Amino acid sequence: MITIKHDGCILCVGCSSVCPTNAIEVVGTRMEHFSDKCIDCGLCVRACPANVIQMYKGIKDAKALPPDAEYG
Amino acid sequence: MTSKNYDYDVIVIGAGPAGSCFSRIAAGAGLNVMVIDKRKEIGVPVRCGEALGLGEIIKQDLDIPKHCYSLVVDGAKIVGPNGKAIKWVAEDTRGYVLERKFFDKWLAELAVEKGATVKTYSRATEVLKDEKGKLCGVKVTHGGREPYDITAPLIVSAEGMESLMARAMGFKTVHALYDVDTCYEYEMKPYDHENLIELYFGNQIAPRGYVWIFPKADKKANVGIGIGANIANGEKRGGIKGADPKILLDEFIEKDKQLQNASSLLDFGGVISVGAPINEFVKDNAMVIGTAAKQVDPIHGGGIGMAMEAGVMAAKVAIDAHKKKDFSKNVLYPYEKEWRATTGVTAAHRLKLRKVLEKVSDDDFNHVFNSINEKDLPEIMNGKFAGPVAKILAGRPQLLAALSGLLS
Repeated sequence: MITIKHDGCILCVGCSSVCPTNAIEVVGTRMEHFSDKCIDCGLCVRACPANVIQMYKGIKDAKALPPDAEYG
Repeated sequence: MTSKNYDYDVIVIGAGPAGSCFSRIAAGAGLNVMVIDKRKEIGVPVRCGEALGLGEIIKQDLDIPKHCYSLVVDGAKIVGPNGKAIKWVAEDTRGYVLERKFFDKWLAELAVEKGATVKTYSRATEVLKDEKGKLCGVKVTHGGREPYDITAPLIVSAEGMESLMARAMGFKTVHALYDVDTCYEYEMKPYDHENLIELYFGNQIAPRGYVWIFPKADKKANVGIGIGANIANGEKRGGIKGADPKILLDEFIEKDKQLQNASSLLDFGGVISVGAPINEFVKDNAMVIGTAAKQVDPIHGGGIGMAMEAGVMAAKVAIDAHKKKDFSKNVLYPYEKEWRATTGVTAAHRLKLRKVLEKVSDDDFNHVFNSINEKDLPEIMNGKFAGPVAKILAGRPQLLAALSGLLS
């Protein structure tokens, strides 16, 4: 799965434009990630101009993220 | 009159330039148009450089109000890796540097004045199909509240880059990393300019892209960069190698005598499509217009003019389909046919040019800049490559292999 550091996100939707599984989308006034759809491809990380997305390969549940994972 | 089986004649998803121009024309012809836009405020946040040629505004006979643009520029200054500048100023190079947040809202207001209904903060979450499997509407949530259904025999996706509903309708709108540029941009002040948009090329400055300075009123300017999203110039979070446009933009600003002392008034950015349009724009009961259909110039990434044009083209066909009470793919196809025969041809030339330029080294790029002049630029941009290419090859025949793509 990925985490988005919302502090720094410019809501450009670059991530959702390249996401092959529709796992990320603008909801309200911020980007939301749907980890059940995520396939850990990392394309969103590479497309993000603000560099606020981090990938945690193989993790499906937010509870399993390392304690220093940033949401912003 | 809307058929009693449907809430509206057409649902438009997205109130950007494409959706609003479509809606203005369709509503003006008497169609019952519903436009939904997921943003709280139309046009916000701004995600682009805000430049638009005068052409489309003139063609659509629009009288753009003063608050919707910042400046009218005369043309462009294109700067090569070695700093050589070519100025391109002609009657058809004049353009606006817009205030997108006002411009988009104004276009939406024009649609409202013609009778369209616009709803903001309203996000389509899924497409609806009738018992026969025919597309018939979308599920909408207003600001995250309980979703409700709206129905129409025609759904138009004018969603821009993300185009999630277009995907749900079966269109192949996912972008490949290779075919997008990732962009970062500041609005800065003060910047003295020559009333020209400025574009800076070079693999050191902006690999597979360019830095732009679009002047605005009161000594302000949009200073931005777009680079190929497949470039790996930086380290992204988590140690992944990837494109970091902000690093290069900050370097450019640091080296620029004026900008190094300027302030930033706004951080923004986005991604732009620089690839080919999607393989089909219409299906039964569905159309895709504007950036959602990747109708964007692959050289400069500009999409406002094309979106407005496609909106009008598609609306005329939709009006005809409404008269015939037939929204099948065949009836909607004339929009796609017209686009591909007109704007599509120019876009294909530009894509060819982009794919050649991205392989050219800075040294060769300098040679290209030294070989051509302001008279060659319009020819190159219009796809008449033979003359300029001959000039370039005369001084450096070894470039033949690199440039041969332009001659086929």
